[in-house]
Amino acid sequence: MERLAVMSEPLIDERVIKDCQQGDREAFRLLFEAYKDRVFSMAVYSFHGDQTAAGDVTQQIFLKLMTSINQFRGESQFTTWLHRLVVNTCIDEQRRRKRHLGFGETFALHTTGQQNPPERRYERRELSAFVTAAISELKPKFRMPVLLKYVEGLSYEEIADVLGCSKGTVASRLNRGHKELARRLAHLRDQVVLGE
Amino acid sequence: MFAKHVTKDLSAYCHGELSPHDASGVAEHLIGCPRCRVVFEEIKLGVKLAERLPEKKAPDSLWQDLEARLDAHASAGEFASARKVASDRSIRTTARIWQPRFLAIAATLILALGLGAFWFYKQESRPSWEVARLNGSPRIGSARINDKSRLAIGQWLETDNVSRAKIQVGSIGQVEIDPNSRVKLVQTRPTEHRLELARGRLSAHIWAPPRLFFVDTPSAVAADLGCAYTLEVDDEGGSLLRVTSGWVALQLKNRESMVPAGAACATRREIGPGTPYFEDSSENFRQALSKLDFEPHDSDWSKIPALNQVLMQARPRDTLTLWHLLSRLEGADRSLVYERLAALSPPPAGVTRDGVLQLDDEMLKAWKAALESTWSNDSGLRKAWIKIWTGALGRVKGVEREK
Repeated sequence: MERLAVMSEPLIDERVIKDCQQGDREAFRLLFEAYKDRVFSMAVYSFHGDQTAAGDVTQQIFLKLMTSINQFRGESQFTTWLHRLVVNTCIDEQRRRKRHLGFGETFALHTTGQQNPPERRYERRELSAFVTAAISELKPKFRMPVLLKYVEGLSYEEIADVLGCSKGTVASRLNRGHKELARRLAHLRDQVVLGE
Repeated sequence: MFAKHVTKDLSAYCHGELSPHDASGVAEHLIGCPRCRVVFEEIKLGVKLAERLPEKKAPDSLWQDLEARLDAHASAGEFASARKVASDRSIRTTARIWQPRFLAIAATLILALGLGAFWFYKQESRPSWEVARLNGSPRIGSARINDKSRLAIGQWLETDNVSRAKIQVGSIGQVEIDPNSRVKLVQTRPTEHRLELARGRLSAHIWAPPRLFFVDTPSAVAADLGCAYTLEVDDEGGSLLRVTSGWVALQLKNRESMVPAGAACATRREIGPGTPYFEDSSENFRQALSKLDFEPHDSDWSKIPALNQVLMQARPRDTLTLWHLLSRLEGADRSLVYERLAALSPPPAGVTRDGVLQLDDEMLKAWKAALESTWSNDSGLRKAWIKIWTGALGRVKGVEREK
């Protein structure tokens, strides 16, 4: 994923952003192509692997981006501004969906978990699917630093900038996120450690 | 000594986000503090799992759907002014841009830029280790090392029959490469440093928490549990590990040998690690063990002479070998090993004959824990280990990017 970032970012310069601010559809297409996979990945991991929901949220993010790009004054990095938009939209949309989720749906999710303990629920899935599921189940305040670190490849300082908190808070939330992943996927320890 | 635990810094330590001074402090604390080491293992697993996050590709249809929504917004007037400003230019440029020859040129340029950026990134950012020439003319790839050089991930370091080299393993130790050897740097990151030894011999001195440094050989993986050892690989891919300080684990699939200081262990292709033995054991003992481990046995009867030799020659210290044999032999052979082991060092409370013969994991671990004091002097070792570590702090360097 970091490789993707490095390959795509050089194509987006100040000129492209200015053209987007002028409403240039081709410039916007260029910007969309450069960031679509990473934005979509952030959304997929925020919505329990639901690709339809992730696609919808990705569109929302780019729509917001296009309608509000005039507000970008260049005071921070463009990517920081974009990451904030992604994080806020994902969290808002999760809240909105939670409010609109009927009682029956909530109950169904919980009973599925109770009937199948994690070991059994995960045993037939591939390792990457286990990780996707476990990441999705993290609380947003732990999940977002993990995604910004591993999907976007940001440093602690950059993550702190996006989330509006201190580096210490980022370190602490990543610690909790890592521990939670290790606890949920402890049964994969041998596969991960010996399989490398 | 452990008043200030380091658990809150462990993710930052794994990601290389701490200053060199703080990172050294964390590493030093981890060596001496079992409680923080447990948390470190947990964090390390979390990091390794998160690194497995697969890339998600956005569906191809996303742009068309988005464009439709953009048009809907635009027709509602939201983009009216912006579109007006850009429309003339867009119409003109779009008409030109979509001509086939312009498309072909643009695609070629984008591909070249992408490949260029990728190549540049790979060259610039590959982590590497410092290599110093000790003797002769060691090579990295086809380039001779005059004095110092750097070994990047994926590169091979080779020595001829007179040359030797020393590798600085990130911030955690040093490895000396003897003549006629071939090693590759497979991985280096805060949670894992890994070399591949295809042939020849290396001597490793590692001052880091357990299971951070690994050496792959054709017949097993050596996992460092601290501190020093030599590992030799022959032309057939077999290897011989000799531990001079601390512990090393040799692994292949589910077969593992734990080798303490003063002991050695051989490995063979397709078989993996043999049974560890102390180097001061008798010649007969070692020959018989080698037969037991690696020679084909056409029938159970052919094992008996070798097993008898091992059991007869075993001293209290050789319970290291007997304990490992328990899980490698079956039926009557396992019973014979149990009897001899129990005679040399009776099992502790709670460990039963039946449990051991059925390979009850908890009982085997309990018996091993009771035996370990005869295999190594851990308190003395730990003191020495910390001394080496502390002394080394001032001169080690972190993993640096290749310049």
